[in-house]
Amino acid sequence: MQDSFRQAFRKRYAKWVASRVPLTDSITLNRRIIYVLPTGNGLMFLLAAGLVFIAAINYAVSLAFGLAFMMISLFILSILYAYNNLNGLNLKSLPTAPVFCGEEASFTIELSRGNKKSHEAVELAFAEHSPSHADLVTVDRDRVQVFYRCNKRGRCQAPILRITTYFPLGICRAWSLINLNLNCIVYPRPVAFSMEQFDSGGGGGEESALMQEGSEDFYGFRDYVPGDPLRQVAWKNVARGQGMQLKQFVDYVDSRVWLDWDMFYGFSVEERLSRLCYGVLKLSREKQSFGLKMPGLEIPPDSGAAHRDKLLRCLALYGIE
Amino acid sequence: MRSEIDYQIPRSALSWVLLAVMLVVAPQALRMPLWISAIAVACIVWRWLIYAGRLGYPGRSLRIAIVIFTLLVSVSQMRNLGIGLDSAASLLTLGFVFKLIEMRHKRDIYVVISLCFVMLMVAFLYSQSAVSSAYIALSVLVTTTAMVALNRSTLLDNHSGTFSLSLKMGLQALPLAVVLFLVFPRIAPLWAVPVQNNGAGTGVTDEMSPGDIAQLGRSSELAFRVQFENSPPPLHENLYWRGLVLDDFDGVTWRRTRRGSSYAQAASLNDFQWSWEDRVRLSDDVIDYNVIMEPTQQPWLYGLHLADPMNRELFQSRNFEIFNNGLITKRMSYDLRSYRGSRTDLLLLDSVRRRSLELPTGGNSQSRALAQRLRADTDSDLDYIYAVLARFQQNEYFYTLNPPLLGDNRVDDFLFNTMAGFCEHYASSFAFLMRAAGIPARVVVGYQGAEYNRYEDYMMVYQYNAHAWNEVWLEGRGWVRFDPTAAVSPERIEQGVEAALADDPAFLEQSLFSRSRLGAMDWINTLRLRLDAIEYEWNRRVVNYDEEVQFELFERLLGEVTEEKVVLLFASLAVIMVAGIAVAIIWTEPRTRRTPVDRLYLQLGRELDKIGLGRQRGEAPNDYCRRVCEARPDLAPLVQEITELYLELNYRHADLQASRQRQLQSRLRSVLRQLRFRLMPVLKSQG
Repeated sequence: MQDSFRQAFRKRYAKWVASRVPLTDSITLNRRIIYVLPTGNGLMFLLAAGLVFIAAINYAVSLAFGLAFMMISLFILSILYAYNNLNGLNLKSLPTAPVFCGEEASFTIELSRGNKKSHEAVELAFAEHSPSHADLVTVDRDRVQVFYRCNKRGRCQAPILRITTYFPLGICRAWSLINLNLNCIVYPRPVAFSMEQFDSGGGGGEESALMQEGSEDFYGFRDYVPGDPLRQVAWKNVARGQGMQLKQFVDYVDSRVWLDWDMFYGFSVEERLSRLCYGVLKLSREKQSFGLKMPGLEIPPDSGAAHRDKLLRCLALYGIE
Repeated sequence: MRSEIDYQIPRSALSWVLLAVMLVVAPQALRMPLWISAIAVACIVWRWLIYAGRLGYPGRSLRIAIVIFTLLVSVSQMRNLGIGLDSAASLLTLGFVFKLIEMRHKRDIYVVISLCFVMLMVAFLYSQSAVSSAYIALSVLVTTTAMVALNRSTLLDNHSGTFSLSLKMGLQALPLAVVLFLVFPRIAPLWAVPVQNNGAGTGVTDEMSPGDIAQLGRSSELAFRVQFENSPPPLHENLYWRGLVLDDFDGVTWRRTRRGSSYAQAASLNDFQWSWEDRVRLSDDVIDYNVIMEPTQQPWLYGLHLADPMNRELFQSRNFEIFNNGLITKRMSYDLRSYRGSRTDLLLLDSVRRRSLELPTGGNSQSRALAQRLRADTDSDLDYIYAVLARFQQNEYFYTLNPPLLGDNRVDDFLFNTMAGFCEHYASSFAFLMRAAGIPARVVVGYQGAEYNRYEDYMMVYQYNAHAWNEVWLEGRGWVRFDPTAAVSPERIEQGVEAALADDPAFLEQSLFSRSRLGAMDWINTLRLRLDAIEYEWNRRVVNYDEEVQFELFERLLGEVTEEKVVLLFASLAVIMVAGIAVAIIWTEPRTRRTPVDRLYLQLGRELDKIGLGRQRGEAPNDYCRRVCEARPDLAPLVQEITELYLELNYRHADLQASRQRQLQSRLRSVLRQLRFRLMPVLKSQG
């Protein structure tokens, strides 16, 4: 009961916050979006100040009044300091490297300070994630990585980012909620499978299979080009007067290096993508040349990091874009 | 979310916290029972060992044991000391140090820090002197530093930077605190608190046995300070600070009659028929003064002859003594107006006369006989008094702090055998001789004399100024003051007790830095007076700032004081202060920290700017060098060298030895100087 109430409140709050903070690439914190409230420790500090004050009244001790007022002044000052520690801080989103589903994306944010400010002990965090710390005291700009666990394949848009500071006394907390345009591609979560079990499947048919010139299976004839090994010339055909033709042999080993959507018959979309992802990673680690076949998409075999990233991106964005 | 469990207290912060705790506990440790102080020290040491990695946190069973121990201590403390400040303070200290050893989360540290402030408040309950206030201010500063250290980024954390930040915050908070102190409306106590210091009363008491005042003569503690407002202070021999009137004698001890002690009470009694105005004949010689009295744990106050209290909560007894409404447990300031030379009680009530003639029925027969004989030989009461004083003067009576012990008939023994005593012996026997001759007489105790502090124009009265003298009732003159001690030792009254007892080894034997011992060392004496002057001003202006003084301030500022005006003044001042501080913080530029090398390099840009080749914002040193060399090939060697030196000093300085750094820096300086010379003729030719 209480839990559902709290959740409803959270949802409301998140909605209200989202309505206040538009999505931007860069933002400078200002008084409109900086909030300051005492922390629990701050309330305890105020309680102590109240205690000192009441003792000052009751024992009529002049300097205890002074002590209580000094504590209250420090508290007020700490509100201003905490606010000022965020005021003028500029945040800019930078491109983020893709991650696999279930991993933490490290969103990169460039922080820079206004020319009159310094910012110390600033924490940046997404809700329920551990904060990253940043200081802009001796440097004018700095990059900070903020982590966010991406649990859904596709394009991950970072949620609302919370920037918090307890500096300098820890009795007041200033924070700001911003919606930076931080996103990254989330590849499917790789799921291992045994490649061998699909060896005999031979899904593709021979036209689409990858051929390499080899020596095992006869494939067909082609015209002789000077320099070809005479051993492979089809002398029978020459005898029939069909001219010099060469017997072509291919190796069908390579025909299996197509990663095919249909290899995983009976799996759901995400399960297929996870296995394809594993296949891509495994094959590219083995430095093989391979292609990918998916509904409405066929990428011819190739190798290298760029090829791998292209395939992973296709897997990530399947059905989304 | 960060869990509290794996929170690590930053090490530098912990050292500040421990320093703050030590500063806060130290003054308490001096006041508490020794074993509690020992526990406090042990806890701090324990915490230090945890910090150093030598010891662990207390286990669960130990923590339970500590709680039970604290409860037992609190019960025994309350039984021994009563529910008062001392027991509360020592309990608070115990809880505080126990919390310290199990402190491991951030919340715990803030509990300790909040308790630090509460402990400092307790320290103020004990003393508000300038010295202890300065100490407490330092403690506040260190506690604030601990808070800053807790929240700083560990990368930037260095002790001096943390301390200077907290000092800056403290200085910024101070003006606001001062304004709050001045204008925040003071509220009357919410509930009555029994302020009970368990220390015994100090100063003059309401009983006087031989030896009592001599005991005070050994103490150089301050009794009170006096400032005369619009007239020069009276001569030393007229400075009789009247305290209590003792009129009940049992042969050994003089006591104050407690019946009808207060003026207000007495007014309701039947035998009190006349009002104050009827009993005194006021003189025109008015003198106003302010007294700041040290705590005595007694209710009575001191003033010159016929002092009329100007403060509301003071009252006057029938014998013109002044009382505070309650014990004086902390420094107290009050204003008095004295009518010098006024006469009191020209008509003596029969009950008072009876009381002022009462003597024990037997004993001291020699003295009684002496009184009879002398009175018979003289014509009037006054002549008789002079005859007694002359007897003191002409016979071998001594004024000493260490008189011999007296037998059963104390007055006889003193007058005829030992003939040596302190003021109480003389006052006691003088009153006895008066009463024995049928003249109403009584003993007055208080202080006589003072030390003048020329730096702030006030007087200091010490415990060794304690004195006893007599008042004798004479027909047509009322109560008249006589001081038999003056007959024995005139310098005691004219120059002070220091002069009279300069050769007495017992005088001030308990105090190391007594005035008479250091009197010869002039500069120490000057320093002592100056320090006391600071203390005095601190008390007058800060410690005594209470409801009344605040009201006067409001009256000066606002004219007629109304609630709305006060609220408005308070609100507007607070808003102005906060806004001012906010502006100061938010719109002031933090000083960019430039190294000396940076500053030297920036000179290059400034010099070249004179010929239109200033460095552009953000231009890299190498780019700038190239641009200048293209524009002015003649300057190229100098500019190139400067750039190289700068780059080496700035980017390789971690590898450079300090001596090499200095060498490069001085080279940079000299090349810059050369450049300046080269540019000078250019300027002249352009001009």
